Amino acid sequence: MSDSEMSHTADGSEEVHVVPDPPPAETPDNSSTPDNSTDVAPTRKARRRPESKPTAEPAVTPKEDKDPPKTSSDSTVSEGGWGYWGSWGKSLLSTATATVATVGQGLSQVIEKAETTLGIPSPTELSAQVEEEQRQQEPTGEGGGSPEGDRVGQDGSSAVGGAMGMLSSLTSVVQTTGKTVITGGLDALEFIGKKTMDVIAEGDPGFKKTKGLMNRNSTLSQVLREAKEREELQDAEKESSDGEKKVVAHYGMLFDEFQGLSHLEALELLSRESESKVKSVLTTLSGDELLQLREELEAIKDSFSMVEFDEEEVDERKDEDGGEFEKELTEALGGLEISAAAGKLSTACKEACSSIRDMSTPAEEEEEEDGSGMKKAHSVEDVHAAAIRSLAELTARSIELFHKLAEMILFSNGSADASVLSQLTVVLCKEVSLLSKKFTSCLTAAGSQDKGDVLNPLITGVFLEASNSASYIQDAFQLLMPILEISHIQRSAASPENRRR
Amino acid sequence: MAYAYLFKYIIIGDTGVGKSCLLLQFTDKRFQPVHDLTIGVEFGARMITIDGKQIKLQIWDTAGQESFRSITRSYYRGAAGALLVYDITRRDTFNHLTTWLEDARQHSNSNMVIMLIGNKSDLESRREVKKEEGEAFAREHGLIFMETSAKTASNVEEAFINTAKEIYEKIQEGVFDINNEANGIKIGPQHPTTNSTLSSSQGGHQAGGGCC
Repeated sequence: MSDSEMSHTADGSEEVHVVPDPPPAETPDNSSTPDNSTDVAPTRKARRRPESKPTAEPAVTPKEDKDPPKTSSDSTVSEGGWGYWGSWGKSLLSTATATVATVGQGLSQVIEKAETTLGIPSPTELSAQVEEEQRQQEPTGEGGGSPEGDRVGQDGSSAVGGAMGMLSSLTSVVQTTGKTVITGGLDALEFIGKKTMDVIAEGDPGFKKTKGLMNRNSTLSQVLREAKEREELQDAEKESSDGEKKVVAHYGMLFDEFQGLSHLEALELLSRESESKVKSVLTTLSGDELLQLREELEAIKDSFSMVEFDEEEVDERKDEDGGEFEKELTEALGGLEISAAAGKLSTACKEACSSIRDMSTPAEEEEEEDGSGMKKAHSVEDVHAAAIRSLAELTARSIELFHKLAEMILFSNGSADASVLSQLTVVLCKEVSLLSKKFTSCLTAAGSQDKGDVLNPLITGVFLEASNSASYIQDAFQLLMPILEISHIQRSAASPENRRR
Repeated sequence: MAYAYLFKYIIIGDTGVGKSCLLLQFTDKRFQPVHDLTIGVEFGARMITIDGKQIKLQIWDTAGQESFRSITRSYYRGAAGALLVYDITRRDTFNHLTTWLEDARQHSNSNMVIMLIGNKSDLESRREVKKEEGEAFAREHGLIFMETSAKTASNVEEAFINTAKEIYEKIQEGVFDINNEANGIKIGPQHPTTNSTLSSSQGGHQAGGGCC
């Protein structure tokens, strides 16, 4: 074993087991290119990218006046927007075991899958890229990744680590394969992204069951907050080292600005308290009563674990203005009285749709007028920033909706059916997926002149945050379970005839 | 954007005393005479500076209605500061202070700084609770006291900031364990975690401006 691996062992014993089978290319490169260990390849490329002009046209026009001043500036995000892939994305990934073993495995599986299903022509070229990719990622896993890994290990959140590791395989896969496939059209890339999820789920049966990052010891909001803080820190560093201020489209910071973190924290408080109430009720019961309640709670648990979130084919053409989403949302809520939060969510979705429309149109016009058009086409960075912002807002509003639902269930002690809530979750996840597809289409259109290595990380970034968004929404859904349980217990207690005895 | 500390606040008190208006005045510097009833809890955040340090206040504005009480109690946990608000034009809101105080003390950590606020000080003609009564109650229970007006913004800044100052002093005195998040204080991103991250990853890092 190389020196670097030894030192890695020393400061992060928990991570050792995940590097049992290093790829052949890894060891020599580790020693020869040590500075790789502190930076991720895409980020560097991004920072060196010459074309950094922000466009004058705001990306999210309708939102501007409503938003706090500091956020509106992200419509002019320059190449700094790339950095997020190396910060938020990476911080999440490296929080976990962003190790070669995981990444390598995911890669080979997906390559295989991609080959067989898509018939991608040159497997040798692909594998060469995989090797290169691994060489670049390998040091990251060992050097940059281990301190964070340690910290998480101490927090006892190995489950989070596992899920994060999967995310990291997903992104690297999308990134690697994307390079080859991008010319073949976005559809293929999307297809791979979707397949990747399946493959990862196959590779790890636990993933399908938990479907998220939840862990009782290290709460989701903690993970998010840490990632957000790292983003803030990196921004501050960038400011001081570059001597210029750049606003970067950071998912985590935006999510916090939309009060997503606060709502999540509040939801976690309610969930934990409900959970302990349920436990204490269980300790007071005995005999038949206990058995029956156990059974009833089991039924509630089942309805939470059996939900299948796999999106059906979503038609991109559909739902141009977010009206469809609003309809589905209303249907899913089925008369639950939380109109305010649902309204905010619909508005967020409509704004996202209108910014997509906004960004698609001028680009086309310009092509028709052969570059002489008044409007400047939106840069890929603009589109990317708008995409990240929309995803962060939609997710924050979704968490808010779940939080308000929890309050309403506890407050009114009304019966909220788990199936209604799971339907809601499906609708929300579908919308996230739809939005990410629309935005990546926008990105591809806006970046038709750009090279793949410029465009691909951005597309990957959008897909990554979309998959994170879906995870957060599903985790928030899971937080509702103890709330339904305690609500069920209280209802039964209030009307004893409900209990079939 | 980066902050040295984050303090969690809760605002509590009877319905209609002006809790949400105080928050709106503090975060947005505006007054909205007609306000929807708060359901459960709503949030606000603002950055302030104390002793040259940036401090982010994360404020949980709770529903005052009695029926929400069992839910809002869950939110007390992990608050570093509380604004306990009554309406100087409604004696009953002052009479309920003892219940609120008991509730707050029971469901939060014992070091929580509590600021007693007599709101609507602009409505002098309709005053039912004398300022001296508020002061006496605060003295008796070890609270800080202020009369404010969310409408005219009088003392609103001061109420939030003085609470933060008190918390900050307690941190300096070592009363608060800032590493225990149950105390409602979080350390900002540029603190210890940074150092460990930086020291363990050598070379080529962007951080630390000018090291390379």
